[in-house]
Amino acid sequence: MTFVKAVLRVMRRELKLFAGFRTFSTLSVGLPLVALLYFVVLIDKGVPEDMPVAVVDRDNTELSRQLTRMIDATPAARVAYHLSDMQEGEKLMREGKIDAIVDIPRDLEKDVFGNKQANVVAYINGTNVTKNGILDRDIRTTLYTFSSGIEIQLLVKKGISEKEAYDMMMPIYYEKHILFNPYTNYAYYLLPIFLPMMLLIFTLLTTIFTIGTELRNATAPYWLAAGNGNIFAAFLGKVLPYTFIFTILSIFIDVLMFKIIGVPMRGHKGMLLASDLLFVMAYQSIGVFIITLVGNMRLGLSVGGGYSVLAFTFSGMTFPLIAMYPAVQAASRIFPLTYYMELFIDQAMRGAPAGQSVDDLLYIAVFILLPLPLLHRLKRLCSDAKYWGKL
Amino acid sequence: MDKTSAKGRLREYRLVVRNEFRYIFRDAGVLLILFGAVLIYSTLYALAYHPEVLRNVPIAVVDESRSPSSREFARKLDAAPNLRVAYKPTSLEEAKQMFLRREVNGIVYLPKEFEKNILGNEKAYIGVYADASYFLMYKQVFMDIVAVMMDSNEAIEMKRFQLAGVPGVQAQAVSDPVRATSRSVFNPYGGYGTFVMPAILVLIIQQTLLIGIGMMGGTWRELGLYRTLILPGRKYLAALPVVLGKSTVYFLVSLLTLLYVFGFHYKAFGYPMNGRFLAVAGFLLPYLLSVIFLGLTLSSVFKRRENSILILLFTSIPLLMISGVSVPMETMPAWLYNLGKIFPSSAGINGFLRIQTMGASLAEVKPEFVTLWILTGVYFLTACIGIRTMAQEGLRPLPNPLAEAALYEGEPLPDADGNVIPTGNNSGTERESLSETSRTMPDRIP
Repeated sequence: MTFVKAVLRVMRRELKLFAGFRTFSTLSVGLPLVALLYFVVLIDKGVPEDMPVAVVDRDNTELSRQLTRMIDATPAARVAYHLSDMQEGEKLMREGKIDAIVDIPRDLEKDVFGNKQANVVAYINGTNVTKNGILDRDIRTTLYTFSSGIEIQLLVKKGISEKEAYDMMMPIYYEKHILFNPYTNYAYYLLPIFLPMMLLIFTLLTTIFTIGTELRNATAPYWLAAGNGNIFAAFLGKVLPYTFIFTILSIFIDVLMFKIIGVPMRGHKGMLLASDLLFVMAYQSIGVFIITLVGNMRLGLSVGGGYSVLAFTFSGMTFPLIAMYPAVQAASRIFPLTYYMELFIDQAMRGAPAGQSVDDLLYIAVFILLPLPLLHRLKRLCSDAKYWGKL
Repeated sequence: MDKTSAKGRLREYRLVVRNEFRYIFRDAGVLLILFGAVLIYSTLYALAYHPEVLRNVPIAVVDESRSPSSREFARKLDAAPNLRVAYKPTSLEEAKQMFLRREVNGIVYLPKEFEKNILGNEKAYIGVYADASYFLMYKQVFMDIVAVMMDSNEAIEMKRFQLAGVPGVQAQAVSDPVRATSRSVFNPYGGYGTFVMPAILVLIIQQTLLIGIGMMGGTWRELGLYRTLILPGRKYLAALPVVLGKSTVYFLVSLLTLLYVFGFHYKAFGYPMNGRFLAVAGFLLPYLLSVIFLGLTLSSVFKRRENSILILLFTSIPLLMISGVSVPMETMPAWLYNLGKIFPSSAGINGFLRIQTMGASLAEVKPEFVTLWILTGVYFLTACIGIRTMAQEGLRPLPNPLAEAALYEGEPLPDADGNVIPTGNNSGTERESLSETSRTMPDRIP
């Protein structure tokens, strides 16, 4: 029997297993689809809007009420409470009912028109850094705008014409060019990491499960036999059907992101597709590596599961890698996801030249070599009854 | 209930407790999840986030003005807490290439007329190119550049106003009549670890308990312990000793975990501990109970011990997100956020953060506290029902894992549960010996 025939026979056997037991399809198709669609629904709006804030208005003049209205009009904030003292505000914040308190001082109107600087303080809940950042930006911008409006009035009062005053103000102004995520849409930050994260978890677990189940059920010798005793044929026949399934899922993720959500795609499509395929193969290879090393499904799943979830933090997509300790940055290199995300951002979002991502692609490919030195051990696992039947 | 049966149930309870402890400590997989995972995850995540903030992000300044004003502006950028002027390339094109090579994370472009505009009563344009592919990086780079600009503006305006005849003291007030101060409370430096770790810790406690309890449930089912440990009886009460016995064990196990989390981890990494002990303990009680009862409910669904990890592992990130503490709840559909409340983690994380990070009292987290007690009640009932169902099923012959082997020999396919006992005769002896192995397995659990 030729090598190719042996591989095909193992693949046929694998398909029969896939059709015969629901666990295989649940793990490689059902749950991944549920997880992917969940995130698409979760980050539906993309930008948080109308977060509740309180205003403590000690001045209670037309001017302070104008400021309150301006804060209410920002996209991020909505003035949910008008309070008379801070204690009340602090309590509301502890109760989770507001995310910020804006404290408007007494004599705001009197001071600013009496050429005395007034100070408005915004207390923003830092427990959630994300909300804090968005509220901070919108409230501060509002206060700057408010201040500039008063500034013009003051200058006019001093006998400077409105046009002149306008020219004098804001001597430096900026034009913002947001590189690579022009809408600063939240979905564009999060989906590109959440979706591959789900894919890799299921790729890894499925691989460990499909091999582990042969050991647990003592069917490993039949698997090896289907491969005509050639462990490499048995290995290929087992992983290839799932390479196909997960690569299709990976392309489905691309379709979701680029076609449905509208994440920009500026770079080289071929590089991205190549990374999709290599990414799946890398995690399959790590799965084979782990299950062969520990030789039992239960421990294999625990170890593989633990490893897979860690990749999220170490990809640097939330807390950036450059802020982490050098040792942690080095550790991030043992997760194919880190390279995959780098390539994704370079190619999809930044439109970097294809050559820029070749090294990322090669690093991902290195992981595919992992099972090779262990094939000998895998064969022993398949032939020696002492490795079978462990719970 | 007569006296003997009450005694019987008490004996059964003690038997369940002893048994559960014995199996947990013999099982490397369960130990790894219940104790190892908390230790490993909490430490690795905490180390990754320990720097807390991103400082000195490298940016490029393209200075085409080459004047004292532009150099002063670049110096101010470099002095901003989050920025570092790493390069001064000669052209914007060059700067963009540096950006693509990931050498800088933002670009500030100062045009030729920069100084001329500032000194004349004109407006000077600057170009800000901020990288929005990483959220935190974008926020910091952009906010810092804007802050430097505002600061420079105030100084320039003051000079201009004085030249226009506004008296010196007033000029300052006029240049910025309403000063904006923004304070981040409960997390003054906007630390990322301080933000995300408390939530992660609460979630880890839930996830490890659910997976660990699920694994043991699978073990019980595979070893037929439901059959041997549950007293016969058709009443729902029949499951009570098992539910209570198992809960006792997992409650004690989670106390150990909490001791580590609050006794060591929290202190070592310096997360805010503003909660009073009674508030924290009082809140964690229904949290642990609801998680344990949910775990017991789920464990009665898992047919095999590996199923709990296969099905529950991926839920960690989705559950963290649905709690609304990372992705703001305002970005997700309201129905989804509300649906998330069926998991103890949603109310658990929200309430815990407010108590421990923000110093709230139990009364101030009342909605979450009540939610957790409701979940405790509901999941207690479902756990009793689930385990009783298991006990009844346990009286039937257990599915033989080796039935699956039939598939590989071209014999009839078992059903989805693998419930068909193979009838083949060609390898009967081998199967017999393997069944023997699986029957003696209880003693072979490491």
